[in-house]
Amino acid sequence: MAETGYESDDPRVILETLVDRSGAITTLLITKEGTTVAEAGQTDYLNTTAMAALVAGMFSATREVARMVGERQFSILLQQGESRHIHISLIGDSEMMVVVFEDYQRIGRVRHEARRAGEGLAKAQADRNDNQQVAQDLSVPEFKEYALNLIDRIFADR
Amino acid sequence: MPHISYQNREIAFKLVYYGPGMSGKTTNLIQIHKSLPKDLRGEMLNLDTEEERTLFFDFFPLELGNVEGYAVRFNMYTVPGQVYYEASRRLILQGADGVVFVADSQPQRFDENLESFHSMSENLRDFGIDFERYPLALQYNKRDCVDPIPIGSLEKELGLNGVPVVEAVANQGTGVMETIRNLSRDVVQRFQL
Repeated sequence: MAETGYESDDPRVILETLVDRSGAITTLLITKEGTTVAEAGQTDYLNTTAMAALVAGMFSATREVARMVGERQFSILLQQGESRHIHISLIGDSEMMVVVFEDYQRIGRVRHEARRAGEGLAKAQADRNDNQQVAQDLSVPEFKEYALNLIDRIFADR
Repeated sequence: MPHISYQNREIAFKLVYYGPGMSGKTTNLIQIHKSLPKDLRGEMLNLDTEEERTLFFDFFPLELGNVEGYAVRFNMYTVPGQVYYEASRRLILQGADGVVFVADSQPQRFDENLESFHSMSENLRDFGIDFERYPLALQYNKRDCVDPIPIGSLEKELGLNGVPVVEAVANQGTGVMETIRNLSRDVVQRFQL
């Protein structure tokens, strides 16, 4: 298979390539549950945590709309604003890629690069699942003990 | 199962407040948000309708701290309680690591509590969750109302055993931290790789 330049097992590297090639401002990879997996480009203007939660909700709502019209899901969402636009695409079964860009004339380029980046991310995701990466350095009993202590401290009655 | 990012060294749990409309889910979240140190809490996101009811969800992220080299985060959500937002509730519940059920103690709301609880348990079962082994905390909110429903009445009607129960007056902050503490402890205690 021809190389596309999106071959990496690190999602951040793929997103950075996408920013470079498409001229996008920001790209995010988020889970269906609304957690950010990786981000690239400018992010200082954006609350990426809230953005991830909202986009995940938006995509889920759209999936319900798709079902209502007899589709399993819509794989791409495009939101057109006055000066900024968002392209969202599904990656595998559990993740979404968000591309924020400005010049709408570049939509063709964004779509093209997003599709290729999406293929790279889907492969990286499948490899991650195959490898079942386990945090060798994470001891669950100790994790629980520390986490429970933090919980008791942070959620103390005030 | 929380989201674990080995690359970013982050573990994120999703906690959801569920319950009938106007039972005080958003109020719980607001009280928690207010009580936390600013450096731990993220910005709270409210998506209200014009009538100030939650339309989609309320949300805020909480950075618990660093544990064993991993940043631990709780992402806290509420669902909209009104009956007509069933689709939204289902979406938000998906992937939740634990749920607080906020019941309304006013006697005239008893049946709505039951109805809401049933819809929650059905949704969770649809997601393949073994409800008997799932982190759940039950909060009887609005205990300052006239003639509140007796503690134990919902568990009896719903056939619940061993669920931690907290009495609360969420708009005064009473019982709010105890509830989230109960749920978070349960979620962490059941955590496994």
